[in-house]
Amino acid sequence: MREALIVSRKFSLEESHTLAVAQEHGAYKTLKKLQNLSPLEVIKIIKESGLRGKGGGGAPAGNKWALMPQESEKPSFLAVNCDESEPGTFKDRQIITKDPHLLIEGILLTCYAIKAIHAYVYIRGEYYQYQQVLQVAVDEANAAGLLGDVKITLHRGAGAYICGEKSALLESMEGKRGHPRLKPKQPEPEWYFGNPTLVNNVETIASVPFILEHGAEAYRSYGTERSPGTLLFAMSGHVERPGVYEAEFGVPMMEYINHFGGGVKNGKKLKAVIPGGASTGVLTAKEAEEVLLDYESLRAMGVSLGTGGMIVMDEETSMVAVLKNLLEFYHEESCGQCTPCREGTGWVDKLVGKILDGRGSSADIDELLEIAETMNGKTICVFAPAVSAVIVSFLTRFRDEFEAAL
Amino acid sequence: MMVQVIVDGKNYEAEEGSLLIDLLIKEQIKVPYFCYHEALGADGNCRMCMVEIAGQKRPQIACDTLVKPDMEVSSKSEKIEKVHTDILELELINHPVDCPTCDQAGECSLQDFYMDYGLHESKVRIEEKVKHDKHVDLGANVMLDQERCVLCARCTRFTDKITHTHELGIIGRGDEAKVSTMPGRKLHNPYAMNLVDICPVGALTSKDFRFKQRVWFLETANSVCHGCAKGCNIYIDHHKIKYEDDMIYRFRPRRNDAVNGFFICDAGRLSYKLLQNNRQTMIRHKDEIISEEKSIALYQSLLKQYKNSITVVIDANLYNEEIEALVDYAQRIGAEVCAPLECYDDTEFADTMLKSAKRAANYEKVVKMGLDRTMPKTSGLIINFNHTETFYAEMQIDFSTHQRPNASFILPIAAYSEQSGSLTNEDGLVQMCEKAVHKNSPSPTLREWLQKVGL
Ligand SMILES: Cc1cc2nc3c(=O)[nH]c(=O)nc-3n(C[C@H](O)[C@H](O)[C@H](O)COP(=O)(O)O)c2cc1C
Ligand code: SF4
Ligand code: SF4
Ligand code: FES
Repeated sequence: MREALIVSRKFSLEESHTLAVAQEHGAYKTLKKLQNLSPLEVIKIIKESGLRGKGGGGAPAGNKWALMPQESEKPSFLAVNCDESEPGTFKDRQIITKDPHLLIEGILLTCYAIKAIHAYVYIRGEYYQYQQVLQVAVDEANAAGLLGDVKITLHRGAGAYICGEKSALLESMEGKRGHPRLKPKQPEPEWYFGNPTLVNNVETIASVPFILEHGAEAYRSYGTERSPGTLLFAMSGHVERPGVYEAEFGVPMMEYINHFGGGVKNGKKLKAVIPGGASTGVLTAKEAEEVLLDYESLRAMGVSLGTGGMIVMDEETSMVAVLKNLLEFYHEESCGQCTPCREGTGWVDKLVGKILDGRGSSADIDELLEIAETMNGKTICVFAPAVSAVIVSFLTRFRDEFEAAL
Repeated sequence: MMVQVIVDGKNYEAEEGSLLIDLLIKEQIKVPYFCYHEALGADGNCRMCMVEIAGQKRPQIACDTLVKPDMEVSSKSEKIEKVHTDILELELINHPVDCPTCDQAGECSLQDFYMDYGLHESKVRIEEKVKHDKHVDLGANVMLDQERCVLCARCTRFTDKITHTHELGIIGRGDEAKVSTMPGRKLHNPYAMNLVDICPVGALTSKDFRFKQRVWFLETANSVCHGCAKGCNIYIDHHKIKYEDDMIYRFRPRRNDAVNGFFICDAGRLSYKLLQNNRQTMIRHKDEIISEEKSIALYQSLLKQYKNSITVVIDANLYNEEIEALVDYAQRIGAEVCAPLECYDDTEFADTMLKSAKRAANYEKVVKMGLDRTMPKTSGLIINFNHTETFYAEMQIDFSTHQRPNASFILPIAAYSEQSGSLTNEDGLVQMCEKAVHKNSPSPTLREWLQKVGL
């Protein structure tokens, strides 16, 4: 497997989070390029690179940037999403602690392209110590005069998963409850206090300096045609060496797990893999053997790539217990606006709890699938559909285990 | 621009870009909904108002769908009915279903939707429901039962968008979410009791009305509030228990976009108590209860005695028809007329929403007719038609709905709720009030008295 270090290039350096080390290794060099590039030209390069959002949805970043008004009476904002609360996902914290200046450089380039005057980084509350590393870096960059006209503010969340959803994040930043907003009727930017705002994941923004430095083609030389570039894939669970390791899109999942993770822990057999964070469904060992790590291949298997945070489970894992664990999380984290989600997440959690306790009946399994149907496609945000997909994914692939538990 | 829309196979006209749910409500096409309210706009949280729209893969909520030309909508297909039923079932899993003790029963959206879309065998096979507080005194006469709440956020949007007082919020996530005031704060605004009406279920109830009467026993009449000159439209809900008298149980706002929209103020809402309490029921002269016959004779002798020194005092809460009849009557008996208004000016009561500084329902009528608005000047005989001020004269006759402690000759009259009539509000709008209450032994109306004493 070839090395592909776009975002994590400086991660292994000593003191890589300091401005001195970062600059010694080329940080902020791309800012000079902006003298010869108009904002629209930057957006064009990002579009050509095929960069896809790395917060889970994989939306083409350039298209989103192009929605931001170049001429506007209102100020434009950038909100960098570092809420990172998806179970199994822990890549953004690597960026803000190992190479915060890469993120800041990306923020400056992005703000130039979308003509934003102020960037916020929304950081989950539990990342307090990591936030401090980033804050020191911002202060250092500011003191060195690197920020120019752009203001960077770190905004600490209060620990709600749903605040990672882009519109809930902005509601939260506005000082309100983190409730996702109704979707707009046509493509448009997000709005922060009524002002046009771009929301991108930390890693998306951290990929921008490479693209501007080396060009769209260089980025496209990694990955596949439709999933270009790299991702900070990660592994947790039953692997020898859990962690975050950057790889290009399109590598075989098992090759990744074996190469970086050293295979399943203690030589046990693989049972299942959650491919990209809790909300992405589950694959059987057989499927994991076959699948490639890109958006399209995983979609074709009926799951999704998400953030690329794989949760590896060995043969001794109870899939009923895993589903219960996940549903407890969703039960706790539903924002509670939409009836199907508010009531559905509790109901499915309790039903799977019943099955796990050996008090379940086959009617409960049918019921789970029926509730999953009601939770799918009928809510404000995709939280409920994701929970629905998780349930369906577990029940279709491991139904025998659920039946055995009755 | 008006465009054609097809709903369930029928053609309708609607403004392009308007909310589909407004059309459904206007045309009385049934869809279940909790969170949408025409005064509060769409929030899209209850997910009940789902309809199918041709060309769209998934069902859509009507409250967040804009009308487009030739849009084809289905609100009744088997598929969409199942969606309604399934979401309703989810709504019910943590609901206490305590309808027998709930004041909302009979006018509850959840109950109605269950009758329309539910009526199913419950699939719920989990034992424990989420428990919340059932008796939260929010303040301002509003009680909250968090378990009955469907979290539609109408109440929080009311305090945010209508009164701008922001007392209410939703705290907690998922099925632990509940409505609450901010810690240490109470509901405190002069329109708070409207929350009881806008809450679609029995989560917010009126401390004043709670446990007093089942709503299906109530009869309703259209009327106009007499709390000030704004003329807010109301329903008078009343009921006669066997062997007892017809009683008013509550006032509720009646929608009129030209006057009060959906709401009324709490002072007006509770003014039914003043209307109903301390009523004068007997004809009394000095300390003696006298017959109608005797009273008419006495009245006529007083008229003779004070001829040329009589003033008729008119209260600015009387109906248009009553005021006109009185002016006419005064002319016939050669009396002066006045309708003192100063005592009804109350700038402290007024606000920018509904409440007017003119605290008499027919203030404008008095002004329009050009009546003398000062206190009576003669010192002979005053015939007072329900004005509440104290006057000074040798002799005073009071036609009065309510008791007047020092009256020497008092004749009871029917209150506005006991007869029909019209009022002219401060904007000059003439509005009708229906007769609501049928007393066991009704007092004559003012106009009946005028007949009796000889027009
Ligand atoms: C329930 C939920 C949680 C989310 N959490 C995150 C998160 O923690 N971080 C993130 O970047 N995106 C998260 N997203 C995705 C964001 O809504 C948004 O799509 C993303 O931040 C856009 O950035 P990108 O295009 O660069 O990926 C979440 C979405 C949902 C529905
Ligand atoms: S789907 Fe769930 S998390 Fe998303 S807005 Fe609705 S209730 Fe909130
Ligand atoms: S108290 Fe009533 S109005 Fe408020 S959220 Fe609950 S159901 Fe809706
Ligand atoms: S009325 Fe449309 S979602 Fe509640």
